[in-house]
Amino acid sequence: MDPVKITIDGKEVVTSKGKTVIQVADELGIEIPRYCYYPKLSIAGNCRMCLVEIEKMPKLQIACNTQVAEGMSVFTQSPKVLAVRKAVLEFLLINHPVDCPICDQAGECWLQDYYMEHDRQPSRFHVGKVHDRKKTIFGPNVVFDGERCIKCTRCVRFCQEITKTNELTVVNRSDHSTIALFDDSVLDNPLSANVVDICPVGALTDRDFRFKVRVWYLEKTPSICPGCSTGCNISVETYQNRIARFKPRINEAVNSHWICDEGRYCFHDLAGGERLSTPLIRQEGGLVTATWEQALQAVSTGLKESSSLAAILSGRNTNEEAYLFAKLIKKLRADATLEVFYQERELSEVEKILVSPDRSPNFRGGRDMGVNSKDGFDGLMRRLLSGDFAAAFIVGEDLTQAADPEAVRTALQKLSFLVVQDTRVTETSKLAHVVLPGTHFGEKEGTYTNRKGRVQKLNAALIPPEGALQDSEIFARFLELTGEKNGYGTPQQIFTALAREISAYQKLTYDSIGAQGIELGSAAAEHHDR
Amino acid sequence: MEKILLRNIDVPNLHQLPTYESAGGYRSWRRVIESMKPAELTEEVKASGLRGRGGAGFPTGMKWSFVPKDSPKPKYLVCNADESEPGTFKDRLLMERDPHAVLEGTLIAAYAIQSHTAFIYIRGELAFAVTRLENAVAEAYQAGLIGKNMFGSGYDLDVIVHRGAGAYICGEETALLSSLEGSRGWPKLKPPFPATHGLFGCPTVVNNVETLAALPWILDRGAAAYAAMGTEKSKGTKLFSVSGHIAKPGVYELEMGYPFKKFLEEDCGGVPNGKRLKGVIPGGASMPVLRPEEIEKVNLDYESVQAAGSLLGSGGVIVMDETTCMVQAAWNLARFFAHESCGQCSPCREGCHWMEKIFHRIEHGEGETADLDLILNISSNIMGNTICPFGDAAAMPAAAFIKKFRDEFEAHIVARRCTVRRELE
Repeated sequence: MDPVKITIDGKEVVTSKGKTVIQVADELGIEIPRYCYYPKLSIAGNCRMCLVEIEKMPKLQIACNTQVAEGMSVFTQSPKVLAVRKAVLEFLLINHPVDCPICDQAGECWLQDYYMEHDRQPSRFHVGKVHDRKKTIFGPNVVFDGERCIKCTRCVRFCQEITKTNELTVVNRSDHSTIALFDDSVLDNPLSANVVDICPVGALTDRDFRFKVRVWYLEKTPSICPGCSTGCNISVETYQNRIARFKPRINEAVNSHWICDEGRYCFHDLAGGERLSTPLIRQEGGLVTATWEQALQAVSTGLKESSSLAAILSGRNTNEEAYLFAKLIKKLRADATLEVFYQERELSEVEKILVSPDRSPNFRGGRDMGVNSKDGFDGLMRRLLSGDFAAAFIVGEDLTQAADPEAVRTALQKLSFLVVQDTRVTETSKLAHVVLPGTHFGEKEGTYTNRKGRVQKLNAALIPPEGALQDSEIFARFLELTGEKNGYGTPQQIFTALAREISAYQKLTYDSIGAQGIELGSAAAEHHDR
Repeated sequence: MEKILLRNIDVPNLHQLPTYESAGGYRSWRRVIESMKPAELTEEVKASGLRGRGGAGFPTGMKWSFVPKDSPKPKYLVCNADESEPGTFKDRLLMERDPHAVLEGTLIAAYAIQSHTAFIYIRGELAFAVTRLENAVAEAYQAGLIGKNMFGSGYDLDVIVHRGAGAYICGEETALLSSLEGSRGWPKLKPPFPATHGLFGCPTVVNNVETLAALPWILDRGAAAYAAMGTEKSKGTKLFSVSGHIAKPGVYELEMGYPFKKFLEEDCGGVPNGKRLKGVIPGGASMPVLRPEEIEKVNLDYESVQAAGSLLGSGGVIVMDETTCMVQAAWNLARFFAHESCGQCSPCREGCHWMEKIFHRIEHGEGETADLDLILNISSNIMGNTICPFGDAAAMPAAAFIKKFRDEFEAHIVARRCTVRRELE
């Protein structure tokens, strides 16, 4: 890249040819307001919010479409620039309903933010506003309010350029321009809800999230999507100890700016429903509540007495949990068959942009930790269905969803001893001899290793219900019962232990994983070797 | 003055190929393709001083020279026949009466940039002109004037007449290209410019009908003959379409630099019915209106009209006499621009309608004096801040009407009705 020297607001900077003014300003942390510009989409240049003054140019130029040139001097704070921002904001707001009190975008709206920053003048528009369609359903996840729309076309370009599904377009002319679906089309592609994230205003809102909670009440926890093994970086946004929504976190090595709809809404299935809050032990007449001591004892005894053991760990369990689980099972029965739950399905072309064919975000990490067997999960299932095992320890999965439910139920019923550790009552747990209430992805800290071998960090966004224990703590308590004096406590301590033991992870430290994760065997991983 | 564009306009059946050819038609095209190199041709047109007649007045030869010669992409020549500017009807006359001149000019320009496909993008409403052009193209194919290996030169050229679907903005060259590509008629961002990234992303030149129609004469008589006419910077002749309160409306061909006042009073017979002139728009609806005293010393060339505070534009002269309510006239124009804004960029999409609504309010007796400064402010907030020149085209006339006829606007606001019509009553 050819170096180019330019000046922005008097600050000299050497950058490279081909970059635009807005890109260079972003790199320098100089904020140029924008609506239509989005780094992952083509340049539209229609909002005119990013107009800047450039020396020797008679007109103001849009920073998003102006490439840097040697000696260029850019002013982002000159009186002309400040005046035009005010003017553009006024134009964008004259026909806007200013219905913030009932708008779901309030609190994260770029009209609100920029108005406070760049405009702050009372309305001079004393004629009738243009009316447009309200609460128009665009698709299963997205609803459109035409009056709030500023026609930046980010959503249109997303569907043209990212998913290439082309559901949306602009129709009509002048101030009646509006976004619309093509005839007979519905915005239901696998990435559809991303248009809500990139919509800078309240025009596109999330049908699942809207009206649930004001965004300023949300607590945001950086984490990893539990939907599949792509490992999209997300922010888990919670209110009153419940997940309100997932939002994507930018990670160019994994998911760029996007997450899929399936991942976005998977928390309903994974974290919803009534929780198990006490261990249960089967007695005559069914499952009855028990203390943790009783339950752990019953499991230890039951498993030791069984002749052959299948141990199935959920793909949503962390590396730290998998490490302890493998240790525990091998200690209980050296001949046990361990596997991570794994199932594949067909993906459409649009899904392939992000989605992996499984629903086991940490299958690779779990197997790295020793939860693996020669014939894989399919082999284990075949053996289970043909009655090869006498006992099973199943964590976090309803096995009846992995194959023909009747066949699975029959096979599980034949077991002499079945332990199920889960967060809810499932078809599988109903058949268990001991049920242990554990935790789900939203309640734990730890690491996942995605399909491509990137180790990424989960953070606890929720407090587990009283009576349930962290999965890692359950395994640790078992290990203590078996006489192992482990002293593992926090996920960090467990990670340090597993990094010592598992060669692929040897170069890693918990801290080096950071917010963006780290690739196994990468230069970055080597770099952090300490 | 020798006429160039309208030299044969009264010849019966001029639209037919034999008639056109017997009047000297296609002599230039034959000479160009048989004996001129594209670069020579471009130099000749540069030397003629011909400037774009669509409104912007950009030197034609220079526009051609921006097309990269080494590009591996196909190149396109587009004739902009989307004449839609209110008050402008000069191209229509050429296309209806002398379609072969337009076509010959298109062929010459296509050859200059070595384009093998030329488009004539014509305003859809001009149905008769469409027929005439389509017939002309068919005749030219038949006669071997267009097609493969013309005159054994090895040069191929196809011409496609494309009808627009009805939007003023498609006369703006990049919107025209979007429309021709099959997309919404939305202007494109510049850079990149059409010369390098035009139609379908390929090098493209867009020339106006009148510009192209001047080429056969220039190539026939030589650049020097053309450059000998007109002023220092505005060479040759130009068509003016005159409408409104004028005794003899119509299309006139004038040598550049012709005195405006003399033109209106002598050539066009002045304002009829003994009325006085109140204002005149010199270059189509998007150009600032001028007061009678402002045109006293104005000549009809790019520089002189600009010095007077307006622009020559397309040469669409709209004459308004003393019975005209300037509030109503301004509102009428504002309504046109509000309706035709493509809606792509914020200042134009929102601002044009806002101005229209305020003009509407004033016209209907509900305005306030502060509205006038508000319109001026909106207008200046649009000017220069939009994707394409449409924003300026809407903002300039709105501001000009208020600045030049402020007294009338204020009287209208105070009286809460039209004072001009009241005086007449």
